[in-house]
Amino acid sequence: MYQSIAWYVTLFLVFLLALAFAFVYGESRRLREYGPIQEKGYKIRKFYFLGLLAVMGFASAMSLSKLPYHNQHAAAKEHAKVVEVAGMQYAWEFSDENFTVGEEIQFRVTSKDVTHGFGIYDPELELIAQTQAMPEYTNTLTITFDKPGTYKILCLEYCSVGHHVMMKDIVVKPKGGNGHGH
Amino acid sequence: MVTKARSINNKGVALALMVTSVILVLMMIFGVMMLLNQGNVVKISPQFFYKIMTIHGTGMIGIAALGGSAIMWYFLSKHIYLNSKVFFANLLFSLIGVVMILIAIFGFNFSDGWTFLFPLPAYSANLYGKLGALLFLFGMLALGIGYLVMYFYLAARLTKEYGGLHKTLGWEHIFGGKKGYGPPPAAVATTMVIITNSIAILAGAYVLVASILNIINPAITIDPMLAKHLTYAFGHIFANCTIYMAVIAVYEVLSKYTERPWKSNKAFLIAWNCSTLFTLMIYTHHLLMDFAVPKWMLIVGQVFSYANGLPVMVVTAYGALMIVFRSAIKWDFASSMMFLAMFGWVAGAVPAIIDSTIVVNHVMHNTKWVPGHFHTYMGMGVIAMIFGFMYYFNKTEGTQKQNSYDKFAIFTYFIFFTGLAGSFLYAGKLSAPRRWAEHLPQWTATDQVGALCGIFIIAASLIFTIRFIAGLKTVGSKSTPDTLKSAS
Repeated sequence: MYQSIAWYVTLFLVFLLALAFAFVYGESRRLREYGPIQEKGYKIRKFYFLGLLAVMGFASAMSLSKLPYHNQHAAAKEHAKVVEVAGMQYAWEFSDENFTVGEEIQFRVTSKDVTHGFGIYDPELELIAQTQAMPEYTNTLTITFDKPGTYKILCLEYCSVGHHVMMKDIVVKPKGGNGHGH
Repeated sequence: MVTKARSINNKGVALALMVTSVILVLMMIFGVMMLLNQGNVVKISPQFFYKIMTIHGTGMIGIAALGGSAIMWYFLSKHIYLNSKVFFANLLFSLIGVVMILIAIFGFNFSDGWTFLFPLPAYSANLYGKLGALLFLFGMLALGIGYLVMYFYLAARLTKEYGGLHKTLGWEHIFGGKKGYGPPPAAVATTMVIITNSIAILAGAYVLVASILNIINPAITIDPMLAKHLTYAFGHIFANCTIYMAVIAVYEVLSKYTERPWKSNKAFLIAWNCSTLFTLMIYTHHLLMDFAVPKWMLIVGQVFSYANGLPVMVVTAYGALMIVFRSAIKWDFASSMMFLAMFGWVAGAVPAIIDSTIVVNHVMHNTKWVPGHFHTYMGMGVIAMIFGFMYYFNKTEGTQKQNSYDKFAIFTYFIFFTGLAGSFLYAGKLSAPRRWAEHLPQWTATDQVGALCGIFIIAASLIFTIRFIAGLKTVGSKSTPDTLKSAS
């Protein structure tokens, strides 16, 4: 979802920007005195500045309430499943690989050698969450899988020449089990 | 005396630009090779991919800094006396650094990327030998020392001429109620770069020395989180400063071509003070996915990354639009490039700011979205400013005239750079990871589009470079009336 928002907002804003530059370019061959242009320009700039501030303020208020850090320092909730994850050149080690739709999982991610990136890709290969896997540190990433299927864990921090083969498949089973579990 | 000093300064600037443009084309070729490999069009070994990735990143940042400092030096020397020996010293340190880095990569298989994260170089040293990693780290240190020497010299010169860096940042006008304009924009921008980049280089030197010591004696370690903070405090600020040096050309060229003043009024000075402060604060947006970092620091990373867009959007880019508006400006290579470069800078800032939003970063960090935004503002911003300045330099100091190849090359460069940046950003939308030697089939089409665009960009850059080097012959053949305000 955020990928699409980022893409379309970028396209829209860059298009507006291109329009502004094209307009000024179109007007650049005419000649008028600079003083009045500056005077009017500074007036418009005040509104432009306040508009930008408002947009940034709104975006901050909306986005800062949904930070992915909420479980970093909290103890594991009773119903959450804790999974210890360790990255190493070039594999992922999991303490538990049984996942079910609707179950809250707390991945406690670290590294045994260099820094890696723990990226969770859904069955459509869309990145749905990530955190860094840094030696000596543990990052807690909480996620609830909302659909069954084969997910992929990809390394998202360059960790030397085998970086791109550092992939692991995990299977998320449907809720209630389908006879294959346990 | 002044003429002689100017002539030597020009030689330094010309040499730096020549090195910049030639290395730039080479690095672009490496870039296209990587895209062709990711797109499954050619096959190179992963190790070779990561080696050229390391040289592509190091080289591009290196030449953007070198080209930017040539611009800064050239225009600042129009206002105050500068001893060209210092510029040559920086150039020499840069070249020594580059040779060491090249030997490390191609002689000793170093491939840890230019923003290597501790303890990666030590692990690589165990695999490929200590020499490669040490050569790379010492090479980076040599580069940093060259810039540090230049910045300290410039700080001393600005202090002598204007009475202190607080004065060149316009504090007398902002806080002291002093009327009129502040120092020339070139001096204001240089001050910002001196302050931020010196701190960046010192942070970089710390992590470089720690990594070197760790390789020599593994008992000496540094906390990996501290090391990452230092690495990005260095890498982010150093990369940012390339544009803050290069933008001096926009001020000078557009002002000259429109015959309108672009002076440091209060809003201009406030904007540059904000840029100084924010640029130092926002590197933490590289650590948004390090959940162990204190939350307030990450929120600062988001909020001030937004805020750092304001000076360029509200003052610099807006100022460029205002000065060009109904000015009957003469459009040629230099003015077109400066105008388009301001578009490129802001266009690159948009996806950058969006990515610094923590919830977005959570699903886009280290995807190709990231190189998407920095290729926009580096390629269509910094490098466009440097190309524009190369033409301006030959035209002002020599007798170069624009021809139809130039127009064709500008058009090609910007159209295909838009395509390249778009292909990166779209790959980011598809979640394609950056820095992967091989991509999954879902992502290869974006790599192929990028590679195709890259080939046209190289063609345009070759035209720029050949035209610049050919035009250098005329430099010095024209006497110019520019004189220094001071020549102490």
